[in-house]
Amino acid sequence: MQEHASLPRDAAKNAAAPHGETGIESIHLPSPTVWPMVLALGVTLLVAGLITNAAISLLGAVFAVAASVGWFRNVLPHERHEEVHAPVSAAERAAAVAASAGPRPAPAAAAHGQRRLTYSFLSGIEAGAAGGAAMALVATAFGMVRFHSLWYAINLMAASSFLSWSNASDAFLSGFHLQGLLAGLLIHMLISVLVGLLYAATMPIFPRLSLVAGGILGPLVWTGLAFSLTKSVAPLLGARVDWLWFIVSQIAFGLTAVWIVNLRIRFLSAEFQSLPFDQRAGLHSNEAQRSAASEVRQ
Amino acid sequence: MNSTGTAVLASAQPPRKLWLDHVQEWLTTVDHKRIGLMYIGYALIFLVVAGVEALLMRIQLSAPDNHFLSPEVFNCMFTMHGTTMVFFVGMPILFGFGNYLVPLMIGARDMAFPRLNAFSFWISAFGGLLLYFSFLGGSGLYGAGSAPDVGWFAYAPLTAKLFSPGHSTDYWTLSILLSGIGSVGTALNLIVTIFTMRCKGMTMTRLPLLCWLYVVTSWLTFLALGPLTAAQIMLCLDRFAGSHFFDVQAGGSAVLWMHFFWIFGHPEVYILVLPAFAFANEIIPVFSRKPIFGYPAMVAASVLIGFISLGVWAHHMFTVGLGPEGNAFFTLATMIVSVPTGIKIFNWLATIWGGKIRFATPMLFSIGFLFQFLIAGLTGIMLSVAPFDWQLGNSYFVVAHFHYVLVGAILYMIFAAFYYWYPKMFGRMLSEKLGKWHFWLFTFGFHLTFDTMHIPGLLGMPRRVFTYPADRGWAMLNQIETVGGFIQAIALLLFVWNMIQSYRTGKEAGPDPWDAWTLEWATSSPPPHYNFAVDPVVHSRRPLWDRKHPESPDTHYE
Repeated sequence: MQEHASLPRDAAKNAAAPHGETGIESIHLPSPTVWPMVLALGVTLLVAGLITNAAISLLGAVFAVAASVGWFRNVLPHERHEEVHAPVSAAERAAAVAASAGPRPAPAAAAHGQRRLTYSFLSGIEAGAAGGAAMALVATAFGMVRFHSLWYAINLMAASSFLSWSNASDAFLSGFHLQGLLAGLLIHMLISVLVGLLYAATMPIFPRLSLVAGGILGPLVWTGLAFSLTKSVAPLLGARVDWLWFIVSQIAFGLTAVWIVNLRIRFLSAEFQSLPFDQRAGLHSNEAQRSAASEVRQ
Repeated sequence: MNSTGTAVLASAQPPRKLWLDHVQEWLTTVDHKRIGLMYIGYALIFLVVAGVEALLMRIQLSAPDNHFLSPEVFNCMFTMHGTTMVFFVGMPILFGFGNYLVPLMIGARDMAFPRLNAFSFWISAFGGLLLYFSFLGGSGLYGAGSAPDVGWFAYAPLTAKLFSPGHSTDYWTLSILLSGIGSVGTALNLIVTIFTMRCKGMTMTRLPLLCWLYVVTSWLTFLALGPLTAAQIMLCLDRFAGSHFFDVQAGGSAVLWMHFFWIFGHPEVYILVLPAFAFANEIIPVFSRKPIFGYPAMVAASVLIGFISLGVWAHHMFTVGLGPEGNAFFTLATMIVSVPTGIKIFNWLATIWGGKIRFATPMLFSIGFLFQFLIAGLTGIMLSVAPFDWQLGNSYFVVAHFHYVLVGAILYMIFAAFYYWYPKMFGRMLSEKLGKWHFWLFTFGFHLTFDTMHIPGLLGMPRRVFTYPADRGWAMLNQIETVGGFIQAIALLLFVWNMIQSYRTGKEAGPDPWDAWTLEWATSSPPPHYNFAVDPVVHSRRPLWDRKHPESPDTHYE
C-alpha cells in the first residue's frame, strides 16, 4: 500500500495563510521562568566566591536556594503552562487525525482517568494516619499481651529518641510517662504520614503489584532496615523489640494504607490500570488535569 | 473614519512592547529556538574575542625578536584563545544549532526539559564571563595573577601554586567546571528529546542524520566531561586544600593530569567535529539534489567514530614516552579512526557524484570542508605514527594540523550551517554575493595561514613560543601566516556585516527556500513558538520530498 507523508499541507506557505476553514488550536507550552537563570547565577557566584570573597559565595547560596524553591514551585505539583493559539486548517486537522488513527480511550474515559489521577497530598496523609492507627492497635495489643501495659509500645518508640531509656526496666516502660507519650506519638505520626505520602505517590504507578508491594514487601523491607539500623545504632533498644510483632504491625500499616489510597484514587480498578504509564505515574499533566483536580476539590 | 472607528482599530493592535519587555522575554525564555539563538549569539561574541586574541599572537609572531606582546601576555593570549575557542565558541555554537534544529527536525514542540535547557545555557554563559572576569579579578582583588596563562591544556606542574600564584588558574578551572555542567545538561536534554519526542512515524531508521550525530556527540559529552570534571576538582583540591594529585615532588603525577585531560581532550575534538559532519549530512544532499548515499553506513560510521575516539587519547602524549605497547596501541587505534571517517568522506562524495549540484554559499563551504578535512585527516594519520610524532609533536606542524580540523573542517561547516539555516531562523536570506566574497576571502586567508604553518613546523619551530631568533629562517613564513590571519578577519567581518544587513534588508526567505526535505522546512520562517500547529507524521527520511512528490515518495525505496 502506498503511504504519503501527512504533513500540514499549507505549512509550507506559512501556517497562518488565509483559509476558509481555518480554526484555532490551543497549544500548551512550558511557561517562561527566570529561575533557571537565577540558579545558574547563584551557582556561578557560589563558585566565584572561592576565589574572590566569601560574601559572594553567600550571595550565590541565597540565589541558588531561592531559585531552587522557585523552580520546584514552577513544576510541582503541576507544570506551569502558557496557552498559545495556533491557526489550523481543517485539512491539517483531518490529515493529523487520519494519520494518527488508532485505538484511543474515549474522551469521557480519558477525562475520568485524569480525574482519578489527581493525586492529593491529603490522600497520602489520610493513608498515613489510618495506617499509623492500625499499626498502633497491633503494637498496643503486643504491649497488653506481653507486659499487660497500654503504654509499653509507645514508650519503646520514645526510647529511640531518649537514649537513657534504652537501659530502663520493663516496669518503667510499662508505666505512663507524658514525655514518652508525646515523643512517641510525634515520631510515630511523622513517620506514618511520610510513608503514607510515599504510598499515595507510588502505589498507582504499578497498581497490579500494589497489594503485594505495599502490603507485604514494603513492610518486610522496612522491618529489615529497622532491624539492621537498631542493631548497629541502638542494640539495647533492638533487643527489646519483638520482631515478629513488629512485622505484623508493619503489615497492618501497609494493607491499611493501600486500602485508603485506593479508596481515594481507585487505582485497583481495571479502568485505571489500563491507563498509560506516564499518566499513572502522574508525569503527564495538563490543563485538563488541573481543571479535573479543581472539580474534585469542589 | 470617525474617532470611534479609529479607537477600535487602535485597540485591536497588540500593545507595543518596551525594550525591557524584550529583555525579560529573553531572560526568562525556555523556548528551544531562543535558547539556541542565545547559545549561537554568545558563541559569536566569544569568537570575535578569541579571534582578536589570535591576531594579537600573529602580530607578535610576524617578526623575529618581536616585543609587541610580553611573554606573560602572550601566554595569557594563547591560553585564553584556546580555552575560549574550545569551551566558549565551539561547544556553545554547536549546542546552539542542536538546540534550535533537533526539536524542529523530529517534529517536537520543545526539548524534553525546557527549564534544564535554559539553566544549561545560562551556566555555560556565566562560566565564560567568569573566565574573562579573570582579567580584572585575577589581580584586582588579591594583587596576584591576571588571566590564566597555563595553556588550554593546563599541564602540571604549571598549575601548581608555586608556578601559578594568585587565582588565574582557579578562574580557568572553575569556569570550565561551570561550562561542563551546562554541556552535560544540554547533552542529556538532546538525548532524551531525540529518544522520546520524535513525531509519529519517525523511527530511528528515519531519524535525520543530524539528530543521529547529536546523539553520538551527546554520549561523548557525557563520557568525556566526567574525567575532565574529576580532574578539575582534583586540581582545585591541590590548590585549595593541600592535596597532591599532580604534585610530583609530593608523590603525585603530572602525567596523570595529562591522561585525565586527554581522555577528555581527544573525544572533545569529535564532540566538535561530529556536529560539523551533521551539518554536511543535511546540506550536501540538498544542494546535490540527491538523498544521502548510504544512510545506514553513515549512522554506523558515526557511532564507530564516537566509540573509537574514546580509545585514542594518548596519541597526544607520544612525546611523554609511553613505551612500545602504549605507542603501538594508540598508533593503531588512531589509524583505525580513519576507517569510519573515510566511509563518511566517500559517502559524501558519492552523494555529490551525479547530482545536480547548486553552488550556493552553503555548498561552497561544504566543499571547502570536504577538501580541507581530507588534508587534516592525512596529516592526522602522519602524526598518529609515534616516531613521526616524536619529531613534530611539539612543533607548529601540530598547530597547523589541528587548525585544519578546527577551522578548515568545523568552522567551515559552521559557516555553511549559518548560510543554510539563517533563513529559517530569521526569515530572511543571507546575501549570496557577500557570502561568496566571504567564502573566497576566508578560503584564501585560511590556506595562506595554515598551509604555510606546516612548514615552520617541519623546520623545527616549536609551538607555544612567544618569539624566535632571526637566524632560524622562520620570519617570512610567519609573516605570510599573519597576513592570512588578517584576511580571514576581514572575511569574518564581511560575514558579520552580511548577517546584520540581511536581518534588516535581506530577501524574504519563505518557509522552504532551499527546496529541502526535512521537517524544519515544513513550518514558517522563523517558526512559530509552538513549531507545528499539528503534530507532523512522517513515513520516510525525507518527509517533505514525499509531500512534494506524492507520485514517487521515498517510502517506495527505503
